[in-house]
Amino acid sequence: MTGFAKDFPILDKEVYGKQLVYLDNAATTQKPNSVIDTISDFYKTDYSNIHRGVHYLSERSSEKYEEARKKVSDFIGARNPGEVTFTAGTTDAINQVARSLEPSLKGNEVLVTGVEHHSNIVPWQMAGAKLRAIQMDEDCNLLLDSIDITKETKLIAISHVSNVLGSVNDIKKITEIAKDHDVPVLVDAAQSIQHLPLDVKNIGCDFLAASGHKMYADTGVGMLYTSDRFSDLMPAKGGGGMVDKVSLEKTTYQEPPLRYEAGTPHIAGAISMGAAIDYMQKRGLDNIEKHESDVYSYARDRLLEMDNVTVYGNTDRMCGSISFNLDQVHHYDAGLIMDKMGVAVRTGHHCAQPLMRSFAIEGTVRASFALYNTKEDVDRLIEGIEKVEMMYT
Amino acid sequence: MTDAIQDEIIREFDGLEWLDRYDLLITSAKELEPMDEDSRTDENTISGCQSRVWIQSYKRDGKLNFNLDSDAMITKGIMALLLRVVNNRHPQEIANIDLYFIERIGLKSNLSPARSNGLESIIKRIKEIAKNEFDQSTVQ
Repeated sequence: MTGFAKDFPILDKEVYGKQLVYLDNAATTQKPNSVIDTISDFYKTDYSNIHRGVHYLSERSSEKYEEARKKVSDFIGARNPGEVTFTAGTTDAINQVARSLEPSLKGNEVLVTGVEHHSNIVPWQMAGAKLRAIQMDEDCNLLLDSIDITKETKLIAISHVSNVLGSVNDIKKITEIAKDHDVPVLVDAAQSIQHLPLDVKNIGCDFLAASGHKMYADTGVGMLYTSDRFSDLMPAKGGGGMVDKVSLEKTTYQEPPLRYEAGTPHIAGAISMGAAIDYMQKRGLDNIEKHESDVYSYARDRLLEMDNVTVYGNTDRMCGSISFNLDQVHHYDAGLIMDKMGVAVRTGHHCAQPLMRSFAIEGTVRASFALYNTKEDVDRLIEGIEKVEMMYT
Repeated sequence: MTDAIQDEIIREFDGLEWLDRYDLLITSAKELEPMDEDSRTDENTISGCQSRVWIQSYKRDGKLNFNLDSDAMITKGIMALLLRVVNNRHPQEIANIDLYFIERIGLKSNLSPARSNGLESIIKRIKEIAKNEFDQSTVQ
């Protein structure tokens, strides 16, 4: 094991007698030793419930939890940790915003794109909003000049990076356009927080959602950035820990972030997000970005030079995922065969059925990269594809 | 209870590496007569997440027969094996059949409900059709 991969014990594994090549990172990333140890040590030495106890362990846990919030807050460039709420993940974060904004969304419109994950589609529909997609060209570049914001547009909800194509959307430009119309912007950063530097002040968004498990932290935890200007939103969830005064007649709520964290949160998960950020910072965000960009470009070039492979999407900036199909081969077959070659890819619609429909396909094979992947992994992917082709001829 | 056809399939797959098993499934898929486009209707579709599967059934001389097809070759190969086992049997026999060969040739993971080729839904559908046929024949 070389490079970053040696920090991730699972990557040492063999599957079906072959060294594992893990290329399903857009679904979830593996965990470095430092994150695994942090979770384990936390349960061994500091664990208790937070914010309510007067005893030693409760104070230790609360401190660690709030330290993690500060790390996340600094990592995304928030003004203060109060703008960061821990959630169960990106899906949960978006659902919470949809619930809180429901009164204004109902019967109105949310502007999205044609590449969205279902979790940035369904919650808005459930809140009673109609969806309209910003136009894009056939390579999936958003046509930002064509953005048409009407008086019915109550929110722009947009992915930073597509989980299918790896296309990077110009979210800063979108927030600038939105500001002219005083429409809030939510950024789904599930596929960008682990690849690109984020600065919510610079981006100018009002909400930003991300998952811990896609950025080397635990599952079941994520974050929602809510700009200070929405500090008095109706909380999506009610319960313990988020209230100021409760009577049977009336309840008043805490200030953010506790206002948005009803019940006992995933304490160890939140702390693992802090540990994951420590890990990435220790390895150097610039180093990671440079390395990932080299591997990604290499993968794209190798795939594009293959005769019988169609690669989807071609935008100015790309990272993370690459989706493709082999001519005449069902994506499911390709994925099964590659699995037995030790190469883990994802196949199917990737929870982006509207995008699949726009390509008139049922699904794709998706290779998605993380900091520990190398050009050798790409070579193994290509070997896998060649094997699939061979078995079909 | 053992079954000669299932035992034969198990022998064919015995000792094969994974890729050779897939090779054999792809070969079986190629030999399976494709279903007419016209028969690939929504009604004949078994909903699965990734590969699409179509099913038709007909009775001949009191025995039940199926046509199965899929847009994915490995799924279709599994369909070809299933057809060898279930076709041309009495409905009651199909409704109660223990398809032990699936586990024995290493395809058990394809059976879990979350698994995307929906093999479990296919088997469920085959058995439902067989049960309905049997129930109807007893009413008559």
